[in-house]
Amino acid sequence: MSTSAFKTTRRQLLQSAAAGAALSAITHPAWAQSAPAVPLDEYEPTYFSAQEWAFILAATARLIPSEGDGPGAIEARVPVFIDLQLAGDFGIAADWYMDGPHDPAAPAQLGYQSPLNPAEVYRAAIAELDDWCSEEHGAPFAELEAETQNAVLTALENGELTLSSTQGASFFGLLLQNTKEGYFADPKYGGNHGMAAWVHIGFPGARASFLEWVGIERAYPLGPVSIAGERA
Amino acid sequence: MKTFLRIVAGLIVLGLVAVAAIAFLPIRKTPPNDQLAANYEVPAGQGEYTMRLADCAACHTAEGGEPFAGGRAIESPFGTIWSTNITPDPDVGIGGYTLDEFRAVLNDGVRRDGTHLYPAMPYDNYRKLSEQDIRVLYGFFMNEVEPVASEGETTKLDFPFDQRWGIRVWDWAALSAPGFTPRYDDPVLDRGAYLVETLGHCGACHTPRNAIFAQAATTGEDATFLTGGAIGGWSAPDLRGPNSAPQTWSAEQLKAYLASGRNDRSAVTGEMSLVIAHSMQYASEDDLDAIVAYLRHIGGGGGDGTQPEPDADAEATTELLASADPAMELGPRLYLDNCNACHFTDGRGADGVFPELDGNSLVNASQTAGVIDVILNGSRLPSTQSRPADLAMPDFGHRLSDEEVAALATFVRSAWSNEAGAVTADDVARRRGNAGRPQDPRS
Repeated sequence: MSTSAFKTTRRQLLQSAAAGAALSAITHPAWAQSAPAVPLDEYEPTYFSAQEWAFILAATARLIPSEGDGPGAIEARVPVFIDLQLAGDFGIAADWYMDGPHDPAAPAQLGYQSPLNPAEVYRAAIAELDDWCSEEHGAPFAELEAETQNAVLTALENGELTLSSTQGASFFGLLLQNTKEGYFADPKYGGNHGMAAWVHIGFPGARASFLEWVGIERAYPLGPVSIAGERA
Repeated sequence: MKTFLRIVAGLIVLGLVAVAAIAFLPIRKTPPNDQLAANYEVPAGQGEYTMRLADCAACHTAEGGEPFAGGRAIESPFGTIWSTNITPDPDVGIGGYTLDEFRAVLNDGVRRDGTHLYPAMPYDNYRKLSEQDIRVLYGFFMNEVEPVASEGETTKLDFPFDQRWGIRVWDWAALSAPGFTPRYDDPVLDRGAYLVETLGHCGACHTPRNAIFAQAATTGEDATFLTGGAIGGWSAPDLRGPNSAPQTWSAEQLKAYLASGRNDRSAVTGEMSLVIAHSMQYASEDDLDAIVAYLRHIGGGGGDGTQPEPDADAEATTELLASADPAMELGPRLYLDNCNACHFTDGRGADGVFPELDGNSLVNASQTAGVIDVILNGSRLPSTQSRPADLAMPDFGHRLSDEEVAALATFVRSAWSNEAGAVTADDVARRRGNAGRPQDPRS
């Protein structure tokens, strides 16, 4: 056995082994594109009942209407955001101080005062409000005319209409706040669908670096990017 | 015809005898290369220090495992090789080894029972160890390591690589002469040569492999030594060429990189993170200076660390990125969306924190697995004594498709002054789910 013959054989063996190793290294990609979102009218809520869901669709559509100059709460899928939030840690006030005393008259800086967590507040408030609408206007909130819905929400905001079931929590404040959050939060939380709200206001998203644009008095030209890497 | 057959048969018999002779004759072990005094005692602390520079822990301590109890998987082109228990446990460890048997492991790659080790153990480098270092290491493992009785995974390679007698044939063809010979008439350079070529076994990764997968050169006198190799699909960069990092950086920059895994040009990632974390950060000032002096010497003197002024190509890339032009291609757009916040439009990062991508050896490597893996999985700097912050780059594998990673890597490899080839979506798909070995250099 000469050295050169030995080396040739060895090299071939090495090459075939290397090829085998390379082949076995081909694995199924872990990354997969997220499925396209189901249409809102086919969406199955995680937290809300059917009646509550109808209320949320109607109420958020009044807070950020689709008839404005940008996308409305419905186009941005704000109701999905609220549903997922109430089904998660926010809904159960997982990291809030929830023990007593609960004093609705306490100053605002003393924090949240209701013994109900946000999910419970939504549930109680929607039931009470729908009952009130049925008594006053003959139908639950979702079935009223937009003008009437606006009047109900305005009365709620002004304090002309108060809900006893929320035990001190401001349902309107919570709903308005969560609607804004669902409109502007990153799409990974279910709202701001397609970054539509960011495109509307010109926010460039989670790119986090605009060093070269400091002091340049021209709009930043690129569209936004989301945490998941979507581009718009 | 009869004569011809007889000749063929004779040759076959001769061949078999030759193989049998190589495989089964008693092994001749390398004798001690020095006589130490009969009353030689290992100086306190010297054992651990020498073990660290030899970087035994990088392979023989598994992530989260007991020190030196083995069980770390070493990926090789021939299959997974599992590192062994080298604690002084008498049954599963090396507690029963005599000094001569211990020396045979380091010098000849032969276990106490005569079994040949796979050359994942760098005995081709360790065979030049001084007798004093062998004694020091022997003392450390016998007296300063806790015995651990756990037997880890056993290496089981496929045929023909499971035939360990074949390694003896390989050893015969591959191994260099034992023993280290000082050659520079300069104690600093000679110490550097010994640390790089032998104890630190840098050549095991950074030197090309030849046709029989042996390290192509084992000393700096050979021009191929430390001109770059491959490990786990990554390029282990060239350390000698005029454009290599050690030859363009200043001595201070190279020393800072070895001691802390970072300097004002680059930051460590991949297998080298383990070398910094387990070994180089513990090197003394003198030893670091010796390593730096030697590396610069064999590369033609080394650089002064000044960054070249950006050329027209580099400025064109910087301007394109700074324009944020919506018409730009996917590659630069992805750079802006994912990389620019830390590595900046000029690709020069920030000193000691974010490595430069312009001219970066990992970015420009011929093996693209490194840059793909870092994009997919991120990277974390080792926490070192001089720079404790284990700064991390996040993983982008969850937010980029294979095509997007390919477009991004292709852009970065051709951005600024970089001129490396394109990366395909197939290249990326092959690295998906391949988290690589060094996930957490803190362990």
